[in-house]
Amino acid sequence: MNSWLIILFNSVILFFLTFFLTRFMKKRNLSKFTPFDFISYVIIALIVALISLGIIPNIYFGLTALAVWGLIPIILDYSSMKSKWIYNIINGKERVLVKNGKVMEDNLAKERITGQEFLQELRSQKSFNLADVEFAVMETTGDINVSLKADKKPVTSYDLGIKVAPKTEPQAVILDGNILNEGLTNIGLSKGWLSTELENKGVALENVFIGQVDSSGDLYLDLFDDLVQIPKSQNKEMLYASIQKSQADLMSFALETENEEAKSMYLKDAENLEKVIKKLEPYLLR
Amino acid sequence: MTVVSKVKQTLSTLKGSEATLRLYSLQERDKEARAIYTEAFKEISKIKINLEKRVGSIEFQEPQYKGN
Repeated sequence: MNSWLIILFNSVILFFLTFFLTRFMKKRNLSKFTPFDFISYVIIALIVALISLGIIPNIYFGLTALAVWGLIPIILDYSSMKSKWIYNIINGKERVLVKNGKVMEDNLAKERITGQEFLQELRSQKSFNLADVEFAVMETTGDINVSLKADKKPVTSYDLGIKVAPKTEPQAVILDGNILNEGLTNIGLSKGWLSTELENKGVALENVFIGQVDSSGDLYLDLFDDLVQIPKSQNKEMLYASIQKSQADLMSFALETENEEAKSMYLKDAENLEKVIKKLEPYLLR
Repeated sequence: MTVVSKVKQTLSTLKGSEATLRLYSLQERDKEARAIYTEAFKEISKIKINLEKRVGSIEFQEPQYKGN
């Protein structure tokens, strides 16, 4: 047989073989490779290249080597799932570089990082000031992760003691002027609802590039024609304001009336409504 | 504006708020938010009933303002 036919045949077979082999290997982000992962991938690539070009005279030698380098990482991955000991041997252990705000110079030396490299890594984690760092750890992939001191962390609504309404993911219901039935049924709305919403906003379906419905059922539209201004829906703010107005009315009725029974009823209702307003605030205003 | 017409106006505002909240409680997908809306419209409907009774008693006491 012609040698070029052999190469063609081998290459096609090896192409699919490596394809399935890498499918079965662990999914990893290329930048998250441990050195060992890197070595096994490179060797597999080399063996495949050598076999398919016919540089290895006996193809079975090549296939044996490929099987060893392909299967052992898979076996090790499975056994490291079962045993922490094997996991530590393969992947190494993460090393703490900063503890309680103090840099651990010994550990830096063990990972062979200079002070300059360490500062550079911290900066890439957006912590320019070493004084802000409470804890830093070098992962087995070589990434450095940083935890800031409690008073330097970004403020969350929890820190401020503000309750915020939970938000589930929004659903796209219109794309390129077409209604997406799947998105609509996911949120339990109908085409009829969508067409009334569009009519209320005074927008034609053909003019909508993207339409998205958030968890509370508000429709946000982006139009092809950016000159058209869509009124922003302020239904929630309006509702909040009208409930507040009712509450103020009840208070003033309580002051005006001379009937003791009515006065106490107004006061009690005003109080209850006040509680309702407090509960609704995070949902209607944010 | 007479007392009874003021109370009636507040009553209608409350009715509107109650209806909107009821709509939100049906539209909302998040369970927690839905519970809050439901609770709010139930509370408001109680207040609404109290106000309706009050309107009735004012109209009984001062029948000359009835219908305003």
